[in-house]
Amino acid sequence: MKNADAAKLATAGLLACLMGSTALAQDKPFSGITLTIASQNDQFAPVIAELAPKFEEETGATVKVDILDYGSLLTKTTADYIGDTEGYDLVTMDIVWAGEYAENGYSVELSELIERDADEIDVDDIYPKLMMGLGNFEGRQVAFPFAGYANVLAYNKTRLDAAGLEAPTTMEEFVAAAEKLTDPDAGLYGFVANGQKGPASAQDWMQYNSEMGGAIMGEDGMPTLNSDANVESLKVYRDLFRKAAPPGAAGYDWGGREESFRQGVAALMQTWSVGAPGYYNPEISKVVDDVAITTAPHSGSAAPSYGIGGWGMAINADVSPEEQEAAWAFIKWLTSPEIHKEFNLMGAGSFLRKSEMTDPDLLEKFPFLPVLAETFENGNYDYRPRIPEYPQIQDFLGTAVNSVLVGDADPKEALDAAQAQAEELF
Amino acid sequence: MPFAARRKLFLVIMAVPVVAYVLVVGIWPLAQGIWYSLYDYNLIRPQRTKFAGLDNYVEIITDPVSRQALINTAIFTLGAVFFELLLGFMLALALWRDDRFNRLALALILIPVTITPLVVGLIFKGLLAADYGMIGYFLAEWGLTDPRGLLADQHAALATLIFIDVWEWTPLVALILLAGLKALPSDILEAASVDGATGPQKLRIIVIPLMLPAVLLALILRTVDAFRVFDTVYVATGGGPGNATNTLMLHAVKQGLEFFNIGRASAIANLTLLIIAVIAAAFVMMIRHADKKANGK
Repeated sequence: MKNADAAKLATAGLLACLMGSTALAQDKPFSGITLTIASQNDQFAPVIAELAPKFEEETGATVKVDILDYGSLLTKTTADYIGDTEGYDLVTMDIVWAGEYAENGYSVELSELIERDADEIDVDDIYPKLMMGLGNFEGRQVAFPFAGYANVLAYNKTRLDAAGLEAPTTMEEFVAAAEKLTDPDAGLYGFVANGQKGPASAQDWMQYNSEMGGAIMGEDGMPTLNSDANVESLKVYRDLFRKAAPPGAAGYDWGGREESFRQGVAALMQTWSVGAPGYYNPEISKVVDDVAITTAPHSGSAAPSYGIGGWGMAINADVSPEEQEAAWAFIKWLTSPEIHKEFNLMGAGSFLRKSEMTDPDLLEKFPFLPVLAETFENGNYDYRPRIPEYPQIQDFLGTAVNSVLVGDADPKEALDAAQAQAEELF
Repeated sequence: MPFAARRKLFLVIMAVPVVAYVLVVGIWPLAQGIWYSLYDYNLIRPQRTKFAGLDNYVEIITDPVSRQALINTAIFTLGAVFFELLLGFMLALALWRDDRFNRLALALILIPVTITPLVVGLIFKGLLAADYGMIGYFLAEWGLTDPRGLLADQHAALATLIFIDVWEWTPLVALILLAGLKALPSDILEAASVDGATGPQKLRIIVIPLMLPAVLLALILRTVDAFRVFDTVYVATGGGPGNATNTLMLHAVKQGLEFFNIGRASAIANLTLLIIAVIAAAFVMMIRHADKKANGK
């Protein structure tokens, strides 16, 4: 599959060279081609749709954006790959799907293309951790990064100041501050995170777990869900919910916890940077003048483990070489410094390049960019294991963490059960 | 060709489309589902596919999550159908008399049936949320429920889902039973009145026995439907908290469309189909028996 793809692309490249004079003479090399993107319904999706006509103007290729929720995106694109139905030319790929893409050869291997066009892409300007984390799996570049998300600590500075507290830098300070800032009688809480069964609680806990020195996979590639460190961190997470979170937080997913923070109910929240522009939007936020953002805390004993997440763009390996070339041109165009800056100025919240972190126009609009820069430099993209078994492991953890939060199981018991299920997958 | 042979040929030709239709939409998918269920077959790891015999079925019985899903589904079905029949019957009796008020009331109480279950799940999730829900907030505030809300309380979540199902489907049961009531022979009831039978006597001796076919029809429809519950649970709790509201269909969808574990998903679906078929067959036999008893047919 891999060799066949490379051969197809090489043929297309050769054809393009042979027809070089004609192609160069053509203003719009991809006229008549329609690229269909299956896109996650994140902030970047409508921006891609809005920018698409500009690409068509420059190259002649029409770009259609099919915006899907997470579950539908995974189901529809997997069905498309497996059935070789060529429904989508480009697919936004969640960081955690990389293993599955690599194992099955779903997408075009981009390494050679990146090398070929390295100068044009300005590869050195892209954070290496985003290049690896958002598309590379064991040496195969299955997608090209375009939307880097950093796990950051958003906090209500006004409330911390009033309590005489500084932004916590360690998990110990974080826990103490969360408890101190909680006053249920006043409807104010110190902390909020995802508690809902499923990916929501699994993903948030994995972040805290990593910050406290825990890990989901061992160095031997086998799951270690019930390690002592993991059990300990789940106890801390549960206690934070008991002592410092709004009562409904055990049922919150991303929307619920973001709302709780924007309404000023919770004072400390770890979150993906993509939501940050919303805190400064007075139409949906009551904390516009109170909010501040800093790097995520970590346990005194553990090295910083800032979470990296986000999306890569993958080219469907089933589509024709011509469409693959056009798709690659679109990726290069979207991630080019000029367009990607515009993309972010339009509110995509999806950063990629080092140059964006110091860009005055972007900095003016998004003052928290240095925090993202620090996270992208020193972050960890593997705290959620990027292996084909990930969706099931996430489900086991999502049930275990939620059971602990609602008082149905104790951390050791819940993680033991999840570990037993996970071991069956290997 | 003699007439008998031509007639036979004609009948065969006429039957072909129906047989083809049943084969294509009924038998073939069923056979394929059974075939897949005998394999350890995951779409995202096709290279590891291997014949597994009945392992998938054994795992459903031995795996605590699947077993819990089976138990939850059974409790949900029993609870929901019991209350729907009880309330539906009372509602049907209340609406029996044909007057303008009852006609209007019937139209109004049918509103929940017209709302898609997915939306019903979302509506109740919003209403019952402890932090911002119009009902959940006050219930938690007055200390009547867990502060996390009914749907996040592992002891109350399944009962709450049963309540939601009862809210949505009782009117349909009432409608079916009302149709049954209206079809009752009025002369027998009048004769009973003339003979001095009291209301409860008429209900016990005449109405309920004659209504049995309608009751069983409602029972069959609702049992089969409740056993397949998915949409409401999916949006309202996602099977949580823990696995407290995980149902068989939710489990099958997750295995099939989230983990692409086609072998296991097929096994769960086949098992569900088998259970539903057994229940439906039992009910059909009961209907026949009741019909024979009531109408001598």
